[in-house]
Amino acid sequence: MIRLAIPLWLFWLLAIGGVVTLLGSYERISARQTRINELQTTIPSFEKLGEGLKQIFRPQGLPENPKPPMFWVDMRATLWRLAVGMGVGVAASVFVGVLMGAYRWIEAPLSPIVMFLSKIPPTAMMPIYFALVGTDQKMFTSMVALGIFFSMTQSIYKAVRQDVSDEAINKAYTLGASEIEIIYEVIWKQILPKIIDNVRLQIGPAMVFLLAAEMVVGSAGLGYQIRMQSRILNMSVVYVYLATLAFIGLVAEWALVTLRRKLCPWYVD
Amino acid sequence: MSEFALEIKALSHVFGKFRVLDNINLQVLPGQIVAVVGPSGCGKSTLLKAILGTDPPTQGDIFTDGVPVRGPTRNVGIVYQNYTLYDFLSAEHNVSFGLKLDETSFWMRFFGLPAYMAKRRQHLQKSRNFLEQVGLSDACGKYPREMSGGMKQRVAVAQAFIMRPKIVLLDEPFGALDEAMREDLQLMLLRFYQENLIAKREGRRPEYTILMVTHELNEAIYVADRVIGLSRFHTHGGQGAAIVYDRPCPVFHPDDPRDFSKFVEQREELRKAVFDEKYVKDRDKYVTFWNELGALAAQK
Repeated sequence: MIRLAIPLWLFWLLAIGGVVTLLGSYERISARQTRINELQTTIPSFEKLGEGLKQIFRPQGLPENPKPPMFWVDMRATLWRLAVGMGVGVAASVFVGVLMGAYRWIEAPLSPIVMFLSKIPPTAMMPIYFALVGTDQKMFTSMVALGIFFSMTQSIYKAVRQDVSDEAINKAYTLGASEIEIIYEVIWKQILPKIIDNVRLQIGPAMVFLLAAEMVVGSAGLGYQIRMQSRILNMSVVYVYLATLAFIGLVAEWALVTLRRKLCPWYVD
Repeated sequence: MSEFALEIKALSHVFGKFRVLDNINLQVLPGQIVAVVGPSGCGKSTLLKAILGTDPPTQGDIFTDGVPVRGPTRNVGIVYQNYTLYDFLSAEHNVSFGLKLDETSFWMRFFGLPAYMAKRRQHLQKSRNFLEQVGLSDACGKYPREMSGGMKQRVAVAQAFIMRPKIVLLDEPFGALDEAMREDLQLMLLRFYQENLIAKREGRRPEYTILMVTHELNEAIYVADRVIGLSRFHTHGGQGAAIVYDRPCPVFHPDDPRDFSKFVEQREELRKAVFDEKYVKDRDKYVTFWNELGALAAQK
């Protein structure tokens, strides 16, 4: 029967079973490929993955002049670009989206532009970013910021229009609120969970834009390293980097859901 | 301070070529509970929005306590049928929300925390007292999603009245509630009216002045001390809806049994004057002018 309830222990058993089956199947396929070609690196065994893991945490450079392991260099570069880009993009889209939802005279000129530009895939805009901001740090952060800006602005503007009724605003006026108080005390507080959810949903696309840019013009970063290692078929490093991306996504998801529960206990999905 | 809590002078409202309201004149004294009834689409909500200040009339003037209405302000409170509570605030914070907005500044909330916190404690205490008055002392910490329709409407009523506005507009306030809950809330309004009477006896200005739109005739007569009928069914109905009925109602005590048979006669008169399409009447026949009402209210 559809949506038939199952006991919790069975749910967890099936969940663990799914993961074990995936890992077991991977190991079998890897072993079969190794039997065919001992030197294959496309589907490395767990042992080889362990070696890849050691490789990325090994200090680089000469022993007398060691440099940080490549994993930290790449992680730092990617996370910094992501954080700055997301920070700028989220702040700008919250500011513009809230004002568009609050004032018709801001909504009227901006909504067609935002709607149009949100339909252009940000990765397709890469040549424009190269031309306008070059290929340095600014390029990566502006790629992430502008990549999420238009779609997030549209989501926030819609949240303001849908979640904050005219009655709620009129009532706030009757309770003595000024315009800035309505924006902060009513609109901001009402749509805060939607903003946090939007940030959560935008991390995936932001990572796509950033990794694509790093693959094309980066000199450090997860995207750059994945491209470099895949070119020499060093998949044991590539898979570890992919697992790291999944881990970043899970941690960000958990952190933002926890933040939303903490800040908005009234909100139910 | 004006003699009237609400005064409407020669108000008309036009949507495109359609004249909804025609030459509405109305004066409401402090402490009156006025019910506005009328057929669907006769302009009751338009009149309410005009008084609230969100939809200014095409012609005419509205004053609350002698001050012209130019937009929604804290002079006029509003309670909507769909409650319109702030989802992110608990019951006590919803009720004290107006006090916070009114008595603390935006910047004080960030940069004057000690003074702000002291004020907030007072506001919350006042809010809890008001919630106790409307029978919700156990629900102070509940969010709107955790409350029933009746509880939410009590919170909405407390939220409006705690601000002591010149007049509170109730827009079909009990329309979405079941019969038992509706009765409870009607009794709550009757208790407010009793407080008005005490205030009048003590020479104070009554605190609860209400204009309530409802489609329930029994409710209108039971709760209000004055009923106004708004309708297009009158001799000049083509020009828009006008006040075709304006009469005092018997005042019930909250402890009296609910005996609707006491006002059967008035209900039929009201039905005939306001809702009967075939019966086109001279509207003046059913209108008691405000000065006479004022005298009646003073007697009560």
